[in-house]
Amino acid sequence: MQTRIVSPAIVLLSLLCGCVPAGKGQFAPEAVWGKRGLSKGRLQKPRAMAIDAQDQLYIVDMTARIQVFSRTGEYLRGWRTPEWQNGKPSGLSFDHAGHLLVADTHYYRMLVYDRQGKMIEEKVIGGEMGHDPGQFGFVTDAVEDSHGNFYIAEYGEYDRIQKFSPQGEFILQWGGHGEEPGQFRRPQNLLVDDRDRIWVADACNHRIQVFDTQGHLEQLWGQPGSAPGQLFYPYDLTFDGKGHLYVCEFGNHRVQKFDLEGNSIACWGGEGRSPGQLFNPWALVCDSQGDIHVLDTNNHRVQRVRF
Amino acid sequence: MNYHIAFDSPWYLCLLLLLPALWVAGMKTLAGLGKTRRLVALVLRSVVLIALVLALAEAQLVRSTDRLTVIYLLDQSLSIPEAQRRAMIQFVNSSIARHRDAKREDRAGVIVFGREASVEVPPIDDEVPVPMSIESLIDRNHTDLSGAMKMALAMFPHDAAKRVVLVTDGNETLGDAQTQASALADAGVSIDVVPIQLEARGDVSIEKLALSSDVRRGQPFQLRVVLNHTTPAGDAAPPVKGRLKVTRHVGEIEEVVTEEAVTLEPGKKVYSLTQDIEDPGFYTYEARFVPDDVEADELSQNNRATAFTHIRGRGSVLLIEDWAPSEKGRFDHLVQRLRAEDLEVTMMASDRLFTNLSELQNYDTVVLANVPRSSGSDTSDVVQSFSDDQIKMLVANTQQLGSGLVMIGGPNSFGAGGWTGTELEKAMPVDFQIKNAKVEAVGALALIMHAGEMADGNYWQKVVARESIKALGPQDYCGLIHWNGNDEWLWNHPRGFGRVGEMRKIMLRRLDGMTPGDMPQFDGSMLMAAKAFQNLPDAAVKHMIIISDGDPTPPSPSTLALLRRVKVRVSTVAVGSHGMLGSNLMQQIASATGGKYYVVKQASALPKIYQREVRRLARPLIFEDKNGIKPFVKYPHEMIKGVADDIPPLTGFVMTTLKDNPLVEVALVSPKPPGEKNATILAGWTYGLGRAVALTTDAGQRWTTGWTGWANYDKLFSQIVRWSMRPVGDTGKFSVATDVVDGRGRVVITALDKEDEFLNFLDMAGSVVGPDMKPAGIEVRQVAPGRYIGQFDANAAGSYFVMVNPGPGHAPIRTGANVSYSAEFRAEETNAALLEQIAALAPHGGEAGKLLTAPAAGEPLDALLQMDPFRRDLPKSTASDDVWPLLLVFCSTVFFFDVLNRRVHLDPAWLAPYTAWVKEHVFGRAVEKKPDATMSRLRSRKAAVSDELAQRRASARFEPEADAAVADAPLAADAGATETQSAAPPPPRETLAAEKKEETYTERLLKAKKDATKRRQ
Repeated sequence: MQTRIVSPAIVLLSLLCGCVPAGKGQFAPEAVWGKRGLSKGRLQKPRAMAIDAQDQLYIVDMTARIQVFSRTGEYLRGWRTPEWQNGKPSGLSFDHAGHLLVADTHYYRMLVYDRQGKMIEEKVIGGEMGHDPGQFGFVTDAVEDSHGNFYIAEYGEYDRIQKFSPQGEFILQWGGHGEEPGQFRRPQNLLVDDRDRIWVADACNHRIQVFDTQGHLEQLWGQPGSAPGQLFYPYDLTFDGKGHLYVCEFGNHRVQKFDLEGNSIACWGGEGRSPGQLFNPWALVCDSQGDIHVLDTNNHRVQRVRF
Repeated sequence: MNYHIAFDSPWYLCLLLLLPALWVAGMKTLAGLGKTRRLVALVLRSVVLIALVLALAEAQLVRSTDRLTVIYLLDQSLSIPEAQRRAMIQFVNSSIARHRDAKREDRAGVIVFGREASVEVPPIDDEVPVPMSIESLIDRNHTDLSGAMKMALAMFPHDAAKRVVLVTDGNETLGDAQTQASALADAGVSIDVVPIQLEARGDVSIEKLALSSDVRRGQPFQLRVVLNHTTPAGDAAPPVKGRLKVTRHVGEIEEVVTEEAVTLEPGKKVYSLTQDIEDPGFYTYEARFVPDDVEADELSQNNRATAFTHIRGRGSVLLIEDWAPSEKGRFDHLVQRLRAEDLEVTMMASDRLFTNLSELQNYDTVVLANVPRSSGSDTSDVVQSFSDDQIKMLVANTQQLGSGLVMIGGPNSFGAGGWTGTELEKAMPVDFQIKNAKVEAVGALALIMHAGEMADGNYWQKVVARESIKALGPQDYCGLIHWNGNDEWLWNHPRGFGRVGEMRKIMLRRLDGMTPGDMPQFDGSMLMAAKAFQNLPDAAVKHMIIISDGDPTPPSPSTLALLRRVKVRVSTVAVGSHGMLGSNLMQQIASATGGKYYVVKQASALPKIYQREVRRLARPLIFEDKNGIKPFVKYPHEMIKGVADDIPPLTGFVMTTLKDNPLVEVALVSPKPPGEKNATILAGWTYGLGRAVALTTDAGQRWTTGWTGWANYDKLFSQIVRWSMRPVGDTGKFSVATDVVDGRGRVVITALDKEDEFLNFLDMAGSVVGPDMKPAGIEVRQVAPGRYIGQFDANAAGSYFVMVNPGPGHAPIRTGANVSYSAEFRAEETNAALLEQIAALAPHGGEAGKLLTAPAAGEPLDALLQMDPFRRDLPKSTASDDVWPLLLVFCSTVFFFDVLNRRVHLDPAWLAPYTAWVKEHVFGRAVEKKPDATMSRLRSRKAAVSDELAQRRASARFEPEADAAVADAPLAADAGATETQSAAPPPPRETLAAEKKEETYTERLLKAKKDATKRRQ
């Protein structure tokens, strides 16, 4: 009885003192950094992010600059892709050699850089628009499996994933534009797990699909919506190494945490401009300490959170 | 940032003197509360009083910051040589890089200006270099310093000190810089000035092309060209050689009058030519000087001059027809018949339209023959359109210059031709929109916007949306979907679509704030629109226009199928922002739904495309009846004189709404559909100095095929055209001359009658149309026998057309004057006086600005860069927020606790279990479990009260002595004793007595009830 009386009193007192009870975003971000701009260290609508083994964040924005930041947001170095007038890259990841794979979306290719920003031209794949093997539409992401094979996703007229050997030779492709299992509508992001399964953020179908290295569908889950467990434009994926998948939802302005069977565990974010809120986030990564870094695209910043 | 408190009404703070009185009074009145509670009450009351007084004093939280915003204003007008304009940009970039304090988050912005000002870089706390070739589109033929300063003032953020750096030669041709600079200083804006030193230069200009004032048909007259070769002061400059070419234009005919080599020594030189004109018409003479050595002539803009003259002849007609291959030549029969009626007719296709008002002056009426505002071929995406300026010219030509304007109908005319909402609609005797809801002329248009990534994408999206809304009728529906975090309708109408008539203002207002984001896929927005279209059963035409770079994910087949089912045509406009020209995806969407696909290379083509597409919605304005409609005569107008009785039936026309104006004369009306107001066939009215005619059916093409064989066809159409034409039949001899000197135009008229006697005391009035198409009146005064003069302002470069009405019985006189180049090209030195005055203005609370002259072209900028526009010599910027509302809330809250403290005695014992829990779980200390003292005390208290009551009752009934011992037991006994007492059973007699008492009462109630029942029975 005493507790029932006292608890509201404490809440009332808290309110009167200016405290606000935790709402949807129960987890306050550990850090929020980044500012809109064009000079070094500023961000202009950043759209893709990758993290290396040293927990350095590589971010590409709408000026086609790839900028490298420390975990705390300190600018370290940067460079620019060779061409950008037609459009800017929209996907970044690292291969096992520590090279940065850049989905150069509107130039129909995958670029490869070392960590200092030197392009490794012999590893570049693509560069020609088309739907034949080795040609691409709008490239969204590129990843490498444990055997050194590359998987490159594209959207447009032919939403598909192409697989290439470590030498860049075409091996196979799967997908196609549509809503059927195994088809895609904008496969925006790829992620390879420790069993070499390819996880695909099938953005405009609002679902996650998982394939083996031959393109056979193993798992499919997700339906459109904004309730926990539902997805709305999933744009990026990351594992935390503890059996969880974090999904960055562009349309729901949030990050959702799932187990590997697709059961929702938690959500973080919500539309807005305050810390803890997101506005059309495009990407996220998980660092070695288990913190999630979210690229809050239309707020031109990065938020770090643990949940 | 620093914070402090300020007060708007500080005298209220005197009320704080009441505090000691409050304490003294409180010490007495609160004595009963005990020491601690009294102290708490006094503190809380004091806080309440202080908060109340602060609120009354209107406390403000003031934030002050030493942040600074500097906006550079760069004069990019052509009076400043290109090299110096480029040097300005270098200066700005270097100045920002060197002086901006990034730690203090200083902001820098750049405005460029000429005739208008444009933001090149908004004020941001970052280094954004200005590109060497500026991106803003400005008219460089003028300089408006005041406009640029006004824009800067509006752009300054409120949370920083403000400074502008004005980089200019100070030669303003528009506005009042001095007044605007004073306004800036009053607003606390500091003004630094960097004067651009104009170097003396050699230049040749045509100062004047003058026609003698007595130009008459068949009589020779003089044409004079005045050339001026200016040189740097004191220099012995060599002569400039070049070619002088004089041409004469009448209608589309151009002939060279003379072309000769000339050598110009410094100074002025006049060339005279003798001319004569045999044929009537509106003649334009143009003189042009082309130097042999381009370097010898600094400005080429002042090498051209024009002059006009007009020789009256018989009536002339310009007929404009649609250039589209399917429409071209359809009015040949009409033209042929008009020519047979002795009318001179010139045909013009709508893809080769007039470009200035002078081209229209050769004609006495203009006929728009089933011409849409925008048209194109179905097989290509080339669209030609009347520009807003061309429409204004047509209207001014009628309203100000007395020409006729005839609109002949057809499926591409009036509202069905996309003319709704244009200036032309105002000039016609009918409105092109149907305001009657009973007439089901409803279209629905969905606009999907995804062109944010193209250059100036948001601007163009707003332009095309505005054009579309403007062109729709009031009954039409319009909806706009964009990506704003999700697919969203721009106006929050429950159905997505809103009626344009009801929501036009809201729609236009929402457009201003529209910033479409990057739409991931088409499906969401297209499906939203398709579902919304389903809810518009009254929409006869449904259309969707998508503008995109083509990179969203394609729509699903089911969405396209739904659109087809709902009969929505989707036209797609591909803007090439990703290096591709065109998009297969967008082409497929258009072909799947029967729409049209456009590829846009230049954004400026977008409005034409949208005008053409929106025209598709106007189809319901066409009324057709294959059985034929026999129009009836509403008024025996001059246009239908002699033909009214046997007008053959027609099968269609474009519905309009008759203007509610007594000047409108309706000649023919269709009996169908019901309601004459929307069924006008032929109407005319006087519009300004001219006349306008609306014939809503055609001239023998689709709806009046029976008319071509009709005997009165020629008569009807020649009467319509003749009624609209400018009056002829001049009985006097008027010679006119025009001249422009120092920004003032002058028209001189010499009036003679047929016997060459002066015409005196004429009541002349005139008007002029300038290059901006805005009309202005001219007061014409007689200054000598038969001589009249009128004057008008002619500051801007361009053509001025003058119409003078000599009074009753005389045809209007037309003439024109030309200002060949802007005053911008006359300026030869910097306006130092003005710039010094501006720099000397001290802002409110700060120091006057600096003035540091820019180095000559090519010289280093180091000295200039010493000037630090980001210096701290301005008062800190402050911003304040009212805090009294918060204080009142705080006051109320504290007052609540004050009352709580006085009225409720809180025993801290309730904290004991929490303390114990914290000790046990947080600090890990073992806590001895004690019985719940509070509950024990409550129980014992209850038992004691029960005992007391029992004793009182017992004593009242005078029970035996034995019971008195129980009654005498102490009420506030210790816990154990109370428990013992409360455990004892209550005296049985008392219980029985109570039960008996209650039974008696119940019995009484029952008895009363029974009695009442019996009485009712």
